[in-house]
Amino acid sequence: MPMIEFKNVQKYYNNFHALKDINLTINDGETVVLIGPSGSGKSTLIRTINGLEDIQSGQLIVNGYDLLDKKTDINKIRKDVGMVFQHFNLYANKTILENIMLAPKIVLHREDEENKRIAMELLEKVGLASQANKYPSQLSGGQQQRIAIARSLAMKPKCLLFDEPTSALDPEMIGDVLKVMKEIAEDSSMTMVVVTHEMGFAREVANRVVFMDQGTILEDDSTEAFFKHPKNERASQFLNKIISHED
Amino acid sequence: MHNFLAAYSWINIRFLLIGLGVTIFVSIISIFFSSIIGTVLGIIRYRKIKFVSLIVGFIIDIIRNVPLILVIFFTYFGLPEIGIKTNPLWASILALIIFESMMIAEIMRAGILSIPKGQTEGAIANGLTYGQTLRHVVLPQAIKNMVPALVSQFISLVKDTSLATIIVLPELTNHAQIIYGQNTNYTIPMFLALAVMYFIICYSISKVANYYEQRVEKRLAK
Repeated sequence: MPMIEFKNVQKYYNNFHALKDINLTINDGETVVLIGPSGSGKSTLIRTINGLEDIQSGQLIVNGYDLLDKKTDINKIRKDVGMVFQHFNLYANKTILENIMLAPKIVLHREDEENKRIAMELLEKVGLASQANKYPSQLSGGQQQRIAIARSLAMKPKCLLFDEPTSALDPEMIGDVLKVMKEIAEDSSMTMVVVTHEMGFAREVANRVVFMDQGTILEDDSTEAFFKHPKNERASQFLNKIISHED
Repeated sequence: MHNFLAAYSWINIRFLLIGLGVTIFVSIISIFFSSIIGTVLGIIRYRKIKFVSLIVGFIIDIIRNVPLILVIFFTYFGLPEIGIKTNPLWASILALIIFESMMIAEIMRAGILSIPKGQTEGAIANGLTYGQTLRHVVLPQAIKNMVPALVSQFISLVKDTSLATIIVLPELTNHAQIIYGQNTNYTIPMFLALAVMYFIICYSISKVANYYEQRVEKRLAK
């Protein structure tokens, strides 16, 4: 079953055509990596999925809800679709534990005891249980990002969106975050959409790779096919550049 | 020296304290209601709701840029013209609430703007509604940033209550005027007493705010 379905989606910022005729289907449990040069629209695309950016025309259906339908309650989508940002966006006024427990408490009305138990389990999972009572500003970027992932998971989402989750991190922090993301991807019920420049991660974890440039999807292929023989010339150039840089 | 001793007779001091009581009463009620109204208006202006925010912004700009004394004239002399009866006390309180709400609305809007957009996006993506995001994430942080500006505004408000003496509200300044009106030798002693009393109230406000600010900071820095 499709979790996310774009049909001829157009997005404009005033006169700038940011997303051009996007058609993309992401199925339940799939892990899809979005890549492309900066300004290609991949962040815009992922942000339309939970309504952080609106679209002007076409059809976008997420978890059975039509985002352009005025009757759709966007909060219902956001309950089931978590998001992890480049700059973590943890609540600066709350402790780590409070960060994780806030949304389940006020959105899902989860009991305090259960809420705390789940939060602590998640903190164990991301290896940061000892930091539970600290504030975000006291943690490193890599730690904050793992907390942000735990915060999203606490809502028990069906789908997680990652918008350049490692781009703002020191190189030695990236590994820990990718490790947590890989563990989530191994859970076959979770749908993941990841905007990233981490080609190693894409190759290892993604089912599919989508390549974008100038607001258009130029290639949508299985991971293996994409890395072996990118069909699109622009994608092939991009790949060569990134991979020669990684070596 | 003799002037001072005579000026500060118990009868005069008691009369000043009664005026001080009115000043404090008017200040507290005005601070309370203008905080609530100002918060709501500030949020409305910030949110850019079609038409509503424009109208609210327009009203805020008009009232903010008019002297308070004119607002007092409006509530005291203007409202009876359209059939609403007032007295000096409620006309002063109403004028202060109207005027200070606009000031607080702008402080509130600036406070919300000072919080990075990522905080809102993080909360909304986490499943919170916009209202829940404001309440649990944005406002607690914004209010911390707003404390210095709010304190200045509240201090101004306390001092501005003295303007109501022009419509003969029996507050502190008015009572001092009555005393030195009867005996001009008491003019300087009364000015001094006024200065001390206003200073004590306003200084207390800033001290309480400092204490609150430090507590919040400690909590955040833990």
